[in-house]
Amino acid sequence: MNNKIKSLHLGIAILAFTIICPMFASAQVPPRFYWKSLAGGQAVPVIFQSLNANANPLDPSSFIPSDAQVEANVATVGYAIMLPMFDRTLTLAILEPMGRVSGTTTIAGKSYNEDATGFGDPTLEVGYNLIGPKAIKNIPDMLRYEPKFSLDLIVDIAFPIGEYDNDQSLNLGQNRWYGRVGAPIVWQIGPWVPGRRTTLELFPSVWFYSDNTDFVGQTLSTDPLFHLEAHLTRDITEHFWASFDTTWKAGGKASLDGVEGSSLNTLAVGITLGYQINDNLSLTAGYMTTVNDSDPGDMQMDAFRISFTYGWHPMVQGMNRLKSE
Amino acid sequence: MKSTHILTALSLPLCATTGFSQAVEMKQEPKSQRPNIVIILGDDLGYSDLGCFGGEIKTPNFDALAKEGVRFNQFYTSASSSPTRSMLLSGVDTHLNGMGNMSEMTAPNQMGVPGYEGYLNNRVTTLPQLLKDAGYHTYMAGKWHMGKQPDQIPAARGFERDFALLDGAGSYWDMMNFSANTPKSTFTEDGRYLKSLPKNYYATKTYTDKMIGYIEANRADGKPFFAYMSHQAPHDPYHLPREWRNRHVGEYDKGWDVVRQERLQRQIEMGLVPKGTELAERMWFIPQASLLAPATKMIMGKKMELYAGLVENVDYHTGRLIDYLKKIGEYDNTIFIVFGDNGAEGTDLFAQIVGSAGTANYLFAAIAWSQTHPNAWGDPQSYVGYGPMWAQVSMTPFSQYKGNLAEGGIHNCLIVKGPVVKRPAGSINGGFMHVADIMPTLLEVAGASYPKTVNGQEPPPLIGKSWVKMLAGEEESPRSGQDYMAWEIFGNRAVRQGDWKLIWQYKPFGTGDWQLFNLATDLSERHDLATQQPEKVKSLVALWDKYVQDNKVILPDRVIWEQQEKRLPDRYPVVDGFPPLISQKQFIPPANMMADPKP
Repeated sequence: MNNKIKSLHLGIAILAFTIICPMFASAQVPPRFYWKSLAGGQAVPVIFQSLNANANPLDPSSFIPSDAQVEANVATVGYAIMLPMFDRTLTLAILEPMGRVSGTTTIAGKSYNEDATGFGDPTLEVGYNLIGPKAIKNIPDMLRYEPKFSLDLIVDIAFPIGEYDNDQSLNLGQNRWYGRVGAPIVWQIGPWVPGRRTTLELFPSVWFYSDNTDFVGQTLSTDPLFHLEAHLTRDITEHFWASFDTTWKAGGKASLDGVEGSSLNTLAVGITLGYQINDNLSLTAGYMTTVNDSDPGDMQMDAFRISFTYGWHPMVQGMNRLKSE
Repeated sequence: MKSTHILTALSLPLCATTGFSQAVEMKQEPKSQRPNIVIILGDDLGYSDLGCFGGEIKTPNFDALAKEGVRFNQFYTSASSSPTRSMLLSGVDTHLNGMGNMSEMTAPNQMGVPGYEGYLNNRVTTLPQLLKDAGYHTYMAGKWHMGKQPDQIPAARGFERDFALLDGAGSYWDMMNFSANTPKSTFTEDGRYLKSLPKNYYATKTYTDKMIGYIEANRADGKPFFAYMSHQAPHDPYHLPREWRNRHVGEYDKGWDVVRQERLQRQIEMGLVPKGTELAERMWFIPQASLLAPATKMIMGKKMELYAGLVENVDYHTGRLIDYLKKIGEYDNTIFIVFGDNGAEGTDLFAQIVGSAGTANYLFAAIAWSQTHPNAWGDPQSYVGYGPMWAQVSMTPFSQYKGNLAEGGIHNCLIVKGPVVKRPAGSINGGFMHVADIMPTLLEVAGASYPKTVNGQEPPPLIGKSWVKMLAGEEESPRSGQDYMAWEIFGNRAVRQGDWKLIWQYKPFGTGDWQLFNLATDLSERHDLATQQPEKVKSLVALWDKYVQDNKVILPDRVIWEQQEKRLPDRYPVVDGFPPLISQKQFIPPANMMADPKP
């Protein structure tokens, strides 16, 4: 029985470390990320996240000790390109997380410390616009762009090639395939005039995970996780905007060799401020924290995020050169 | 004759209350023989904008009026707003009625001179006054632009009910005006100056609502009405509701040269202009549209999209008025007269007013007219005008635009429909007509006549000719070949007699000398015949001199054209595709002669 409890506690501790990993490995993108740009336009986003959690943010089961501490400092670098396909916008993106993560928890009087550094699993994202403006194929299209009601279908798939140590539960790589299917929505509210733009952005998605069969000698399974992001964004000036953010996660119950955690029901809110520094570079800074975390067993998590996105298009670059002449 | 005297006597107390003591003769007629009158005036509406005049702009209500009535393709106004309005409502030449120059442009040597007051002076009476005296209800909604003082506003000049913008232009959404010294537009309603505008105010809609309300309020008494719908639209700034802004997205990216050609083709097919009519030369400072970058075409085209939406919005609200008149059974007994007040606006009015950085007006514009992004165009505080390139489109096939005395400044569209029109429905008439004709025409229709005295003095003569016989099909034109018209505005001058037109304009729009055109063969004024026809020039100059003498014309000693020659590029004849270097196409060799390079 003691062995069983010990085993259970160990499993819970492992879960406390591991299930958080998808959270930062699959870095959330900032609001306004799914606005469309000129076909052929390319962008490099760099997203820094610093995250703290006192418990497993995905599995706030009541029997999990509340003293687990996970800290992660992760940067996600990506590349994205927009292309026209059948007159609609196709977006291809790849995101590569990297950084360090460390965690501590005490189970049955024993302290567990782990840390990991390096590269995480790269994620390929394919997005296709189903409803909304047609592909922006030239500058007149770009000048006329208004999202009105825009809905994309996106598919993410993470390749299990990131740093992984099967002797510890805390890794940047996941050693399993996972990904999601989602439908980001941008809903324009009111005029599309810089300085006055307002959007409601919803991003429902479902994450799917394969099993990790080499997880500290055990098999980690995770149920599908429903994830809903919502952003109410509003221009403050022509180049400066703010967003009220909320995210809700449900499901995603993990089990380790049959030892089950609990399904998630985590609600977090936050704000993001964005600034368009120039035609090429934009900046966002945001903070998010859990709100349904008052009970001892609830997950508490907060995260800071700063992102830079550098975008370019030969036509825009050419126009800028002409302006300078 | 007895009844005439009685009615004259009855009318006197009414005249006295408005400060006039004119003797009005009125023939008492049964109501059924006295039609209602609706004048729909488009501000800066171009000759070719309406669908029935060759435009691609969708104007089904105006087109329907044209289909049931008659279009006129030789109709003239002044080259500018308030002068046209003054002749419409007084029938008297501008140099005698107070609008010898626009109040905004009065030259130093015209200041204080009778005829140049800058408002409709009290030596003339007005059409609404005479119609009111003749038993008509008289209503006005829209732009006035003929004086702001209490004795100059619509209520003082014969309108029984009014909702009027007294300024020449302003926001369509609120009371915002253009300059630091005149930040607010002035409005009146029923003779009172408004402190604020009605809720949900939008100029074209509100004017129409008001007019329908006026007609409805009094229709039970059975009197005919005179309704003056003096729209602010489509004068810039192009303010219009969002749902009207995107009806022509991308349609004008093809550029003004193509749209002008298309309009001309339709005009020829409709019979509005003769086969073989040439387009006027594109203004020398306007680029060939096909050479522009796509983004430039789009931004320029978007201005025309807004303009088209604005015209369509006027058409829509005109349809509301028509529907109302049909509903109350008055449509068939109503004369509709639809026209534009001058050529389309090609001058950047806003830039003129705003001036340069560092001035109070510039600062005012930066704050009050701050919505400069193209996506904000149409919103409150945005200012868009479409520029000379699209103004020339609006004036297809003519040369130049508003403010000038080339055909593009003064030759406008006209539709007349109603019970007095006996000409074939949908026909086109080439009678030689003038805006000042409307006063004698409507006086005749209403059974009224022009008074012999106004305020105890003999009023200036009417310069117009009644259209009644012409509308009845009894003659082709209210004027004979010997009758002439003449114009003077901002120092430019012109005279037309028969097919011949003599014009003198400041450089660079003119030559600073007399030019002669035969409009029967050269509607677009491309071929100056002055040197070939000196006798014709001489005879027309004599008519011009007579016009000056008869109407006490004082040529201004300062004019808006003074700096034009320096501001604009040197004028050369415009030849599309010259030099070929800039428009040469890629050479494609014969496919069977293509080869890879030899090693």
